[in-house]
Amino acid sequence: MHERLAQWDFVIAAYAIGVIGTCLMVGWTLVAMRRAEMRRDLVRGSARANSGGTPEA
Amino acid sequence: MSTIKPKHQRLVLVVIALVALVGAGLLAAFALKSQASYFYLPSDIVAKPPEADRAVRLGGMVEKGSIAHSPDGITVQFIVADGKARVPVRFTGITPELFVEGSGVVAEGHLQAGTFMADNLLAKHDEKYVPREMRDMTKAQAKAVIAETK
Amino acid sequence: MQMRRRSPPLGPCPAAPQVAEHRQPAAGVAGLYWIDNPAPMHGFANPARFLRLARWLTPLLLGSGLLLASGALLWGLLVVPPDRLMGDTVRILFIHVPCVWLGMAGWSTIAISSLVELVWRHPLAAISGRAAAVPGAAFTAMGLATGSIWGRPTWGTWWVWDGRLTSFLILLFLYFGYIALANAAQRDAAAGSGANRVTAIFGIVGAINIPIINRSVVWWNSLHQPPSITMGKSSIDGTFLWPLLFAAVGFSLIFGGVVLARMRMLLADIQAEARLRRKAMA
Repeated sequence: MHERLAQWDFVIAAYAIGVIGTCLMVGWTLVAMRRAEMRRDLVRGSARANSGGTPEA
Repeated sequence: MSTIKPKHQRLVLVVIALVALVGAGLLAAFALKSQASYFYLPSDIVAKPPEADRAVRLGGMVEKGSIAHSPDGITVQFIVADGKARVPVRFTGITPELFVEGSGVVAEGHLQAGTFMADNLLAKHDEKYVPREMRDMTKAQAKAVIAETK
Repeated sequence: MQMRRRSPPLGPCPAAPQVAEHRQPAAGVAGLYWIDNPAPMHGFANPARFLRLARWLTPLLLGSGLLLASGALLWGLLVVPPDRLMGDTVRILFIHVPCVWLGMAGWSTIAISSLVELVWRHPLAAISGRAAAVPGAAFTAMGLATGSIWGRPTWGTWWVWDGRLTSFLILLFLYFGYIALANAAQRDAAAGSGANRVTAIFGIVGAINIPIINRSVVWWNSLHQPPSITMGKSSIDGTFLWPLLFAAVGFSLIFGGVVLARMRMLLADIQAEARLRRKAMA
């Protein structure tokens, strides 16, 4: 007896993991970066707020 | 410049450490050669047959034209070969999707009177990726198509 | 003076008046002195210079990478024909291979950064190694997950303890160890301890696993197939190879963008900490 699996289910599952994982990683990194740069600019004082890390998105 | 010397010293140290590390890694890999293998080849099994009760894995190619289905419908018999030796295998159960003649297989089980009684069957894929449309072509045709796409 | 020589300084911050202000307490800021120490020896050791570059390179890499990767994945999902043996599951190739490639590239980044950090004491190298850890671990985990999902319909099993799969799982644990060490070193940095060096040494030692992963399918009989692409030769048909190439390039660009973004994050943290410490001392 030969095994017959629904191949597309596996394909969709693998793509979902890859795509969702990548998007989460990128999003989380951008948020963390912006938060850190804003904190640095805050610590440095408002006068230099624009020379530090301006959000670019 | 006084900064050159300690830098070179560190570089030499790191290089020595790296060489030692790679050497240790290679030695370990070499020592593990027999243990770290996932399965035995048919020639290993023939040269040094495992004890009857010991569970081992046998891996190789399913010989072309060797798959025989039993009347019960779920038992298959086939020959696993590696070019040097051939071992008959018997398996009862559902075979994986990629279990086909001329392709790789790994069987888990034990040797019994010259026949490998498999409890579990895994398919081994080779490193080639070829579209389905090219499957039925002759080798020369497939080559021509591949040459075209290059 | 001794301290200064041992670690090339990161250089001044962009604004000129800032430099003078930075200089005075620099010697007192243990572990972070290089951030405030002018006289850059390496061009890119200067954080202002690095930030100028990174500020436009980060969105560029991320944007082009996301575009290229999603295009390649759609191509693999909708256009590519089924494989002769695997059928439709061959499409997992286009997500699995970029993930495992970047899992290994991530540790290579860590190893090279660690080497540069230890030998040349380049301050940005310590940051780039730590920045590559999280994306590297993420891609390694995704590579393991997608590989497992691919293994079930092709091999007939979710997991086996063969050389390739086991060594790749070890890579994930090495990442966990590195991240834990780097976090501990960050906490200890204020005390000026040499824990950073331990992280770098771990990064170099762990690199031994990379050639083992690569060679595992050649040295040992394994369920995983031998490499399809070796030195200018490919056993992958062009219909699969091209989308795979685009996916690999796209995900690599994303990886580069994430590493840059995390470097900016780490740099901003260090600069903020240094400033806070100076304020506390003033």
